[in-house]
Amino acid sequence: MGVVQATLEESAAKYKVSNCIDCGKCTWGCPVSRRAGDFSPRRVVEDYVGAGNLAGDRGLWECMTCGMCTQLCTSGVEFHEFVREVRPSLRRLISPETTHSDVFQIIQNVSSFSHVKPRTNNWVTVDLEIDPNSSTLLFVGCTPYFDVVFRHLRNDLLEIPRATVRLLNQMGIRPRLLEHERCCGHDAYWLGDVDTFDRLAKANIEAIRATGVDEVVTFCPECYAALKDLYPRFVGDLGFRVRSATAMIGEAVKSRRIMLRDSGKTMTYHDPCRLSRHSNIIQEPREILKGMGGLVEMPRSGSISACCGVSCWVNCGASAKEWQLDRLREARATGAQGLVTACPKCLVHFSCAMHEHSGQNQGEVVPVSDIHVLASGSIRGE
Amino acid sequence: MSWKPKIVAFCCNWCAYAGADLAGISRRQYSPNIRILRVMCSGRVDPALILKCYEQGADGVMVLGCHPGDCHYLAGNEEAQKRVESVRELLGLLGIDDRRLLLEWVSASEGDRFARVTNDFVARIGELGPLGGGASDS
Repeated sequence: MGVVQATLEESAAKYKVSNCIDCGKCTWGCPVSRRAGDFSPRRVVEDYVGAGNLAGDRGLWECMTCGMCTQLCTSGVEFHEFVREVRPSLRRLISPETTHSDVFQIIQNVSSFSHVKPRTNNWVTVDLEIDPNSSTLLFVGCTPYFDVVFRHLRNDLLEIPRATVRLLNQMGIRPRLLEHERCCGHDAYWLGDVDTFDRLAKANIEAIRATGVDEVVTFCPECYAALKDLYPRFVGDLGFRVRSATAMIGEAVKSRRIMLRDSGKTMTYHDPCRLSRHSNIIQEPREILKGMGGLVEMPRSGSISACCGVSCWVNCGASAKEWQLDRLREARATGAQGLVTACPKCLVHFSCAMHEHSGQNQGEVVPVSDIHVLASGSIRGE
Repeated sequence: MSWKPKIVAFCCNWCAYAGADLAGISRRQYSPNIRILRVMCSGRVDPALILKCYEQGADGVMVLGCHPGDCHYLAGNEEAQKRVESVRELLGLLGIDDRRLLLEWVSASEGDRFARVTNDFVARIGELGPLGGGASDS
């Protein structure tokens, strides 16, 4: 297996594009259509079915592949997968508008070079129990890079991997870490950069297999989706299991293997798209929040959760910020004392909207935190 | 074919680039391995621009600006210092030796200094070897 570029017709058939009955539910639910009126999944599909091509539509870079359209479609059209598969050929005509001066795309690419040996374990502190011979490996992902780039927004991003290890330790798991861990390649895959994804996936799989571990645990929903669902598409059987730390912690809280203190606060939970719609991990994070006080739901939650507004570090602008502020207002309207999410990227996006774009509008200010950090801070002592 | 270091030098318009000019006018010899890019201020050099150089095959990157207190835009060089520090952190995460990145101050009257800084850095990169295959990066 490896990189095989499908034709437009093959992709359309694979993702059942011609099943479209033109009902428009996709466009109704699409966060991009809501905030920037010139993109419509229904119109893209209509254009394809009618004219047989996509005419290099720039709007296809606006899609955040959050999967809401696919979730709502009653005819089985997998629009977000279709978009992803036409992007490699679209790249040759138009490129996506990257954010943060391209820095994450560059990091991703440099990380895929065989002569580069990344070391992302700079966050390990002495109180964390790490076992170099463990059969469980913690895949860290890009959070250490986010810490460098977004420290002005929040200086606690490295607490996420630390909190995850503390919670795993509570469950009796002392994970090991990869000596040289590369980017998981999630963004490259969804942006149609299949060559970079292929290099990253193979290097990571080879490195993980060389450790001989039985399972890999990730706290980042994107790493989880990449390792669990995307890697097998390229290499077949991985030879190890992939589990979401968030789900494991949720189950442990439910079965009372991890005891959390009641914080006396009611929180609301934002579902990251890669965890909820893509991986169907919806209940587990809620168990964590219920275990430490209360949970109040926003109108758009679970499998129809609103997106955090930006994906893969492309196409962020005024309308994306407006979307994020709208989500913060929604969180605030529930009466919750804080918004909790399980994805480092959602966390960064909401923190950015709140700190840099909310202005004098205090109605949008709601504390945003990471579920692992919150749970780790509430572990009940002996 | 023997390897020669490929080095990008970001020089600010007001000090370092003028310093390079002076080095040339004064006929100071300096290594031909650097590619000078003139920018209006060292503070304009985005971390992503520096990383992009390594991505595109540079073995080393220099950011040269005005001495502290001499910045044409008052504090651009202080901004450059912050940005270079964050690139050092990113290089550390990527496992690239941060000796491949240099931040130095060269004024418009320091042609000699420009030649010396450049030659020293080229010699350092020569010792570290090529980025793609040098044993020094881990």
